[in-house]
Amino acid sequence: MTATLLAERSWRSASAIRVAGLVVAATYAVFIVWVYAAQPRTLREVRGGVAASIGVYRIDAAAFDEGLRYFRTDRFAEARRAFARADPAQRDARTQYYIAYAFLREGWGRVYSDDALYRQADVALQRAQAATSDGVVRVDDPELTLKTSDEMAEALARGLRRDASDLNPLSMLEKRP
Amino acid sequence: MTADARGAVRSVWHEAFTLPLVFLSAALLGGLRIDAGGGLAFVPPPLFALVLAVMLIAALYRCGAFDPTRLFHPRRTGLAKASGAMIVVALAAAAAQMMAALTPEEGLFALAFDIVWLVLFGNTLAARPNRARLLSSLLVMFGAAFVVKFILLGALYAPDASVTKRVVMALVEGVSLGTLGYSPPGPATGYVTFATGLLFLAGIAALPHGPEPGAGDALVRVVPGDVVVVPDQRLDRGL
Repeated sequence: MTATLLAERSWRSASAIRVAGLVVAATYAVFIVWVYAAQPRTLREVRGGVAASIGVYRIDAAAFDEGLRYFRTDRFAEARRAFARADPAQRDARTQYYIAYAFLREGWGRVYSDDALYRQADVALQRAQAATSDGVVRVDDPELTLKTSDEMAEALARGLRRDASDLNPLSMLEKRP
Repeated sequence: MTADARGAVRSVWHEAFTLPLVFLSAALLGGLRIDAGGGLAFVPPPLFALVLAVMLIAALYRCGAFDPTRLFHPRRTGLAKASGAMIVVALAAAAAQMMAALTPEEGLFALAFDIVWLVLFGNTLAARPNRARLLSSLLVMFGAAFVVKFILLGALYAPDASVTKRVVMALVEGVSLGTLGYSPPGPATGYVTFATGLLFLAGIAALPHGPEPGAGDALVRVVPGDVVVVPDQRLDRGL
């Protein structure tokens, strides 16, 4: 009787260990697949990505506000630094959108646009879109002309395109995005 | 708890946690590349690394270092078989990543390494050494690949003139590298690969092999290599 009880308890214990092992190993395997798919470039991005995937990622609000102040006074390089500090894992759609906007505004000119800065804006915009579930970023800021990622993507594509409209002198009268 | 029961629980822990986590860690770290600036990249294994991984697992099986029947025999429960399947999947992933980590990523050196791996594994499969010899052989093969990739080639193609580079250049005096291109991995990658290699080899050494504990002694046991072992002395006594 005692031997049967011991055997039963041992079997249950072994099953519990196996179930726990499978859960831990499967979770670890999912993490590895995520790492190879997401390609984080730094340990901060790894941490941020894991935090974002379980819904506990938070940006540094003070650094974000600082970035916003720089952005509104056209100090774009400083703004990008502050935004990067606010969102080190590059997982927050709104912050990445502002980084893209900072590149866009810095690259925008009445006569020509800076292609290098526009491309960097495009990369940041893609990060912003990747951080949302539906791939669209909407920012309700009255100071921004382009309030969605679709509008910004089109503005960037227009800026990078080479065609006859580049020679239109009326384009010099366009408003800054 | 009796000693047998303790041993059984330890074996379950080993299968459920130790082996999968060791091999999954090797799979994760085997693809990690760290550049000189500290940037990370996680590189999936190329197709040829998968072929080499299959050959490595075949060699482990043929030489008795890994016995899949220990993980999948009919007496085991479904959960136990699932644990076994996790070990096999993790082992395959780790083996592929190890082969990729120890092989240059592109160019003529990659081709040369791949051919050498193919010949070595083919030779191992044909020679069918026993488990101990296979493990020693793997240690030497992995160690040699590590030294060539990370120390010799790394030094030869390093942007700065290190002591190793000067020594190697002195040894191969008169030989020019010409247009033979190679991008040395960042120094930190070498340390990670070294640790990963040791972890992988430790995992291989800990794989289930030989007869199952408590399965009872066979009168005559045939092991791979057609060697007949007679462990029961009753046979010697003619009983």
